[in-house]
Amino acid sequence: MQPEKFYYDNKIVRNFALATIIWGIIGMLVGLLIAMQLYKPAMNLGNQYTSFGRIRPLHTNAVIFAFVGNAIFMGVYYSIQRLLKARMFSDLLSKIHFWGWQLIIVSAVITLPLGITTSHEYAELEWPIDILITLVWVVFGFNLFGTILKRRERHLYVAIWFYIATFVTVAVLHIVNSVELPIGLWKSYYVYAGVQDALVQWWYGHNAVAFFLTTPYLGMMYYFLPKMAGRPIYSYRLSILHFWALIFIYIWAGPHHLLYTPLPGWAQSLGVVFSVMLIAPSWGGMINGLLTLRGAWDKVREDVILKFMVVGLTCYGMATFEGPMLALKQVNAIAHYSDWIIAHVHVGALGWNGFLTFAILYWLIPRIYNTSLYSKKLASTHFWLGTLGIIFYVVPMYWSGFTQSLMLKEFTPEGLLKYPNFLETTLRIIPMYIMRSIGGTLYLLGVILMAYNLFKTMLAGKLVPNEAAQAFALEPLANQGNLENQEKWHKVLERKPIRFLILSLVAILIGTFIELMPTLTISSNIPTISSVKPYTPLELHGRDIYIREGCVGCHSQAIRPFRSETERYGEYSKAGEFVYDHPFLWGSKRTGPDLQREGGKYGNSWHYNHLLDPRSMSPGSIMPSYSWLIKQELDTSHTELKINAMRTLGVPYALGYEKIANQDLQKQEQIISQDLAANHIRVKPNQEVIALIAYLQRLGTDIKNYKKTGK
Amino acid sequence: MFKQFTENIDGKQVYLISSMGIFILFFLMVGFILIRLRKAHVQYMSELPLKDSLEN
Repeated sequence: MQPEKFYYDNKIVRNFALATIIWGIIGMLVGLLIAMQLYKPAMNLGNQYTSFGRIRPLHTNAVIFAFVGNAIFMGVYYSIQRLLKARMFSDLLSKIHFWGWQLIIVSAVITLPLGITTSHEYAELEWPIDILITLVWVVFGFNLFGTILKRRERHLYVAIWFYIATFVTVAVLHIVNSVELPIGLWKSYYVYAGVQDALVQWWYGHNAVAFFLTTPYLGMMYYFLPKMAGRPIYSYRLSILHFWALIFIYIWAGPHHLLYTPLPGWAQSLGVVFSVMLIAPSWGGMINGLLTLRGAWDKVREDVILKFMVVGLTCYGMATFEGPMLALKQVNAIAHYSDWIIAHVHVGALGWNGFLTFAILYWLIPRIYNTSLYSKKLASTHFWLGTLGIIFYVVPMYWSGFTQSLMLKEFTPEGLLKYPNFLETTLRIIPMYIMRSIGGTLYLLGVILMAYNLFKTMLAGKLVPNEAAQAFALEPLANQGNLENQEKWHKVLERKPIRFLILSLVAILIGTFIELMPTLTISSNIPTISSVKPYTPLELHGRDIYIREGCVGCHSQAIRPFRSETERYGEYSKAGEFVYDHPFLWGSKRTGPDLQREGGKYGNSWHYNHLLDPRSMSPGSIMPSYSWLIKQELDTSHTELKINAMRTLGVPYALGYEKIANQDLQKQEQIISQDLAANHIRVKPNQEVIALIAYLQRLGTDIKNYKKTGK
Repeated sequence: MFKQFTENIDGKQVYLISSMGIFILFFLMVGFILIRLRKAHVQYMSELPLKDSLEN
């Protein structure tokens, strides 16, 4: 039998590699800018399009979906062709995938600074872009499975298992967490509310980490590490156990993001238990990677690519040990809402995703350009800059997290809060924020060096767009004697790729159903409170401005049942308080104080002055100024649509109320503007700031009324 | 330390117990498959990334 000659498509790999480098630099630059904004508010640049709340999601989206996303496709397109001995199924689908993905990223770059956001973390993009993501993902899936079906290698290596699980799980996560009711081209409301919305979001959010930042990278590790080290993976059996255990367990862990919130206790406990169990498969994978280098540690000393891999794997090990620890309630009580989580995330992002990406880029670019790396010395400098950058980034963030959390929890011997003013704790950690941006700068400098090194490499070589290869076509199984019987289990598992996809789907759906369905369908899980009423039309508009400005990026609206929190913020949060919140706005980080009981704490004039110039009310505050809210008029043309949409989602506005909603809105505007006028602040009633003040003054007041009247 | 798991579940232990049961079953199943894998197959699979093409 003659082997078949065919060609690997290297051009698509090169395109994704270029996109990885360019978006990586942009995403990290935005990260550096927001890091500086946290100690120098002037870095918000005085306009709404570059304020922290709006561009923090730009940073997260750019590094997750643009930098890591493109790197995943680069690694997948390179490795899958070679593992399957086949060119990608369709060059056209590859191109549509590439340009479609870049279009999604450009849409994010435009819409997020404009304040177009759903507010769900890592899922901020509005519904038209969600649909585009779905279409592009389907194109990727077709190309992936088309290649698998026309393969010349019967067996699917474990890396491909990880790619299949990534494809199917990201599809499920994206669809379930994007069920929104549009009220215009660039605005929608999630169909889920409050506790349910929080559960869906963090089931998504945690598994975006699992199935976007982890499983595809593990697949890449299982392919590229043996190539780089020139030896097979330490234990293939362990890799199979790693795969099944990881995808089965990961999907359950989401609720550890919602500990001590009104999420039902049983769901929190499930999240904790499965998070702790996650150590086993995660460390199994890390050990499998590191032990692949057994007997080759002398190579690590010489080879900068292996150095990147070793530090990357070590960071994976650290982050996946820390994750389960953070899921323990006692640890979470201190870490949640603090910079500790920022440190944890960046050990994973900078160390695991970043370093693996750099290693693969350094390994792959010279090969597809048929040359050698321009400068090993520069690559080595990059390695040390990157490693130092990670240390300078995460150590101050750990320090800052511990310091602020402990300060916020400290009481005097008389039983009063030692630091009743939140700002006092913020001012204490400003030096850490400065240090963090130095770490980020070092890391970014390393990436710029890498870009220079790789572009010089590209210039020195010439892209081999179609790399020749040979392999035998697949023989019919009938010719292979009794091999079939011997490999029964293997056949059941991975010889049929579509069946494999379904098995992976079942593995992730078990946890999904057990965890999500009771909270979504059994009403006793969310006890209602009679005094909690829907927002007034003006408050609803104010809430949308709160979402637009990304206030949720720094202010939580979920008070945990600790004395240190109830003393500071008021009554702890109850599930029934959020039943009309589409979306929920609990937040995940307290750069500023919690706002759930903000209503009535200060006068309208305080809020006006504070939004206009936060430092006039709170000297030293790091909050950006929101001066544009005082200049921009509130757009009330969508009030009717908003009320109708909310009613469709179950908010009990009376039928026909949408017709008179704007009248109520204007009345409430008048009341607030008159109150401001009484305090010598002249502002037109139809300015956006009035709506935001109305919303802030409403926060938490339903419960206060309940306590007063007992109803 | 484990009190938090037993006290906060409001009679909904069934979720925890069934989840643990499903996991153990799943784990045993994967373990069984791993034990049944032939050595030659495992070696073949682990060497796959090192063979890009017949020429390599």
